[in-house]
Amino acid sequence: MMKTFARPLILGSVAVLGLAACGKSTSEPGGESEIISRVTLTLTPPSGGAVITAYIDDPDGNGPQAPTAQVGALALTRGVTYSGAVRFENRLASPVQDITTEVRAEANEHRVFYTVTGTGVTVNTTDVDSQNRPLGLAFSKVLAASATAGSLRVVLCHYGSTSKVATATSCMGDTDVSQQFAFTVN
Amino acid sequence: MRTKCCSAVRLQAVWALVLIGTFGPWKLARAQANHGAERHVHGIVESSSGAPVGNADVTVSWETTDTRLARVARTRSDRRGRFDLRDLPAQRVVLQVRALGFAPAREVLDLTDADRLLTVHLEPAIARLQEVAVRADTARDMLERVAATSTLNRNALAEQRGQTLGETIKNLPGVSVIQFGPSISKPVVRGLNSQRVLVMNNGLRQEDQQWGTEHAPNIDGFEADVVSVVRGAATVLYGADALGGVVRVDPAPLPDSGSMHGELAMQTFSNSRQGALSLATSGANLWLPMIGNTGYRLRLTTRVAGNSRAPDYYLSNTGFRELNGSVALGVRRPWGRAELTATRFGTELGVLRQAHVGNVEDLQRVMESAPPDSAFAYGIDRPSQQVAHTTVRARTLLTLPRAQELELIYGFQFNHRQEYDNHGPLRFRNEAAFNLKLFSNSLDVRWTHARVRGWRGTVGTSIAAQGNQTLGKAFLIPGYDLSQGALYAQEELAVGRLSVVTGLRGDAISQTTIRFADAGIQSPAGTRRWQNVAGSLGAAYLLRDGLDVSLRMARAWRPPTVNERYAQGVHHGTAQYELGDASLGRERSHGVESAVRARGQGWQFEGAAYQNAIDDFIYLRPTAPVQTIRGAFPGYRYAQTLARLRGAEFSGQWSPVGALELSATGTLVRGTDRLDGGPLFDMPADRARFSARYRQRGTRAGAWFVGAGTTLVRRQDGVPAGAVYSLPTAGYSLLQFDSGTRGFMLFGRAADFSVSVTNALDVRYRDYLSRYRLFVNDSGRDVVLRLTLPL
Repeated sequence: MMKTFARPLILGSVAVLGLAACGKSTSEPGGESEIISRVTLTLTPPSGGAVITAYIDDPDGNGPQAPTAQVGALALTRGVTYSGAVRFENRLASPVQDITTEVRAEANEHRVFYTVTGTGVTVNTTDVDSQNRPLGLAFSKVLAASATAGSLRVVLCHYGSTSKVATATSCMGDTDVSQQFAFTVN
Repeated sequence: MRTKCCSAVRLQAVWALVLIGTFGPWKLARAQANHGAERHVHGIVESSSGAPVGNADVTVSWETTDTRLARVARTRSDRRGRFDLRDLPAQRVVLQVRALGFAPAREVLDLTDADRLLTVHLEPAIARLQEVAVRADTARDMLERVAATSTLNRNALAEQRGQTLGETIKNLPGVSVIQFGPSISKPVVRGLNSQRVLVMNNGLRQEDQQWGTEHAPNIDGFEADVVSVVRGAATVLYGADALGGVVRVDPAPLPDSGSMHGELAMQTFSNSRQGALSLATSGANLWLPMIGNTGYRLRLTTRVAGNSRAPDYYLSNTGFRELNGSVALGVRRPWGRAELTATRFGTELGVLRQAHVGNVEDLQRVMESAPPDSAFAYGIDRPSQQVAHTTVRARTLLTLPRAQELELIYGFQFNHRQEYDNHGPLRFRNEAAFNLKLFSNSLDVRWTHARVRGWRGTVGTSIAAQGNQTLGKAFLIPGYDLSQGALYAQEELAVGRLSVVTGLRGDAISQTTIRFADAGIQSPAGTRRWQNVAGSLGAAYLLRDGLDVSLRMARAWRPPTVNERYAQGVHHGTAQYELGDASLGRERSHGVESAVRARGQGWQFEGAAYQNAIDDFIYLRPTAPVQTIRGAFPGYRYAQTLARLRGAEFSGQWSPVGALELSATGTLVRGTDRLDGGPLFDMPADRARFSARYRQRGTRAGAWFVGAGTTLVRRQDGVPAGAVYSLPTAGYSLLQFDSGTRGFMLFGRAADFSVSVTNALDVRYRDYLSRYRLFVNDSGRDVVLRLTLPL
């Protein structure tokens, strides 16, 4: 019984749609969403030795797939103070977008926080925004005199509606990136 | 691709011109009561089988703006059913006849030129507590005889008009609201909400992306003249969306006599420093070529609110603004009536700043930190919503011989929803994160037939088509096309004191989603069709005068909505990562309810109890956390379970002495997941409301009242484990005072004025259904002033 009336009804409905349909259905988001798909850490030794890099990819950005494991080992030498830089990219776009530039352009609304574990290892932010508050795209990493292993969490914090406070030690705004890198010191 | 659409959606510009044109000269004449001629109505009251009905209450009422004149005349029919009413004004009047064991009858008589002699046929029926429906609607009246229904009529609404729809109905039994602060409130009927509760706005299903709990109904509160809530499945008449219940909003009927008159309604709310203003003009003296005399109404409403205040702090970014307009034209002729209306609702509202978080760590931090000291402001910042809803509706009711009616309703609706957040590069910050456009077309045809062998009822068909565009920066749901068709019938058999109402409906629904793929999100194209039958059977029995009982069973179903099938993304405010499941099947409910309605001298009582078993109930089930580059999010996936809702509600009024009126309502809901025995999410806490009111009529200050009430809400302990919102909320009680007068003479006009104080003790509380309860308290004391002035 259902079948017999279902078809004419669906056809009728289509006719109504035809009658005054003025929007063509579509799923095509316009504009550009902020996707960061790769976080790269670069550590440069002061003496001009080999530059050490590692990155974490998220193959679908904000999608439900988990980020991949860290690519590249951060094998560091004890007692050395490295100068570091972080880089955010959208590698899903073509050409690849460097989000780091956006963050620098909006330095007053952003800050990168570093949380480090590992005995005797410290990380200090070395750059500032236009109001002399820490920015964190560049940092120095001071290593212990003894061998250890640890982790470095990188949090890109976005201050949209909350105000950026120079003395803050953790993100009080919206988190745009939160990824953890492993490193070893020998 | 963005499609440029209909110039019809730009109607507001036209209305603005029309309104300027109308109000410009400002020559508002008042309706003239014609007291020169005196008319006479007499006749016989008979049952539908032709037997005379004695002792029937016969009332003739009419409209007049002069408060010193009578508005009503009344008599009773004698043993042979005869009645006689004299000294009536020579104008259009309303005749109403009521008798024990019969449905009330209502007829509009035009006495402008002559007296009337007529025979009134009464349909057998059970007694009803509610007043006679302002608009005769046979199908609805039948449903209300067996389904628990509460109605706020014009008088009841006058004291709370202009509020959001959710606020207006939240004190009715069986009803509560999901709130996102004062600007967003969503009706919950017997524990169900959103895509399970249909909002019918002036005969049209309101299609405003109701699937989102933070998507409030886009209806101008000042337009509502009567609001009624049907509790329990009403899918036979209204379609799959009415699985949980129906909220009906009807505007005042268009005038069919009288010249132009206007109305000014003003409100202020102290808590959010809100001001609202609504201007309307209506009349029946518009002469159109080819059509003749036409009734019309124009309305323009605006509203501005700033941040609300909880007892210790302001709720940041909770202001909102509205600008609404409507134009209605209608004719009433011997063949029936026809109406054409165009309405536009536009709002911009802020979402609580704290409720917008980056990931689960942010959420934890915001929940644990004290709400920041925020200042009062009218400005609306990110996150925010901008919504515009445009409706064009054509409605025709043809009166056919033998009390038959044929009704046609065509509706076009365009809903444009833009939600803004704070993410993304600066140069794209002004692009909406979510930008959804929903186009809906619908055609409903209903035929109410004459009584055949005791059966009277309505047969109808309904077809609808929808197209959705998903634009904006971020993905939430894919674009889709939806088409549906239905055939239904609802019939009533009246046998003496027993009234049986049964209905059957077949629906066919087709849902086609449009593929979406960017570098991150993949959503496939696909078409699915559903066909199913819904049915209901109810009976009401009149035990004695003023006491009836009813029992009703309803089977209903609904297909999963597009968001339940394809949602993919973070829900801001809860940091929930929500994932749809395209393979979800239909949800089916089997409900049974019983009600008792009693009425005596100076009191009335209504109680109802129900059980609703919902198989394959669609809900968000917590899953493993979702890891993204932004950190971890609690993961939720749409899944199905076996659910059961049980509950009871009551309402009662008692006047121990004439001027004093005591009233009470109570609501109890228990939602259970039958698979694990745990409670369901989003169930309202038990609540009761008591109020007392002292009234005086006919004084120099008009008909005034003063009253107080209290709302008691029990702690919600039935909360599912594992959800972010699983925190139970404490019980609370609120105190309210109100006072007002109707027919108070102001500038020589009969004005209505009222003042009310809600949450009078400035209590700190968090309601379980408040979506801001993780972050802040609900609003504190609010002093509301209302003034309505005829112009």
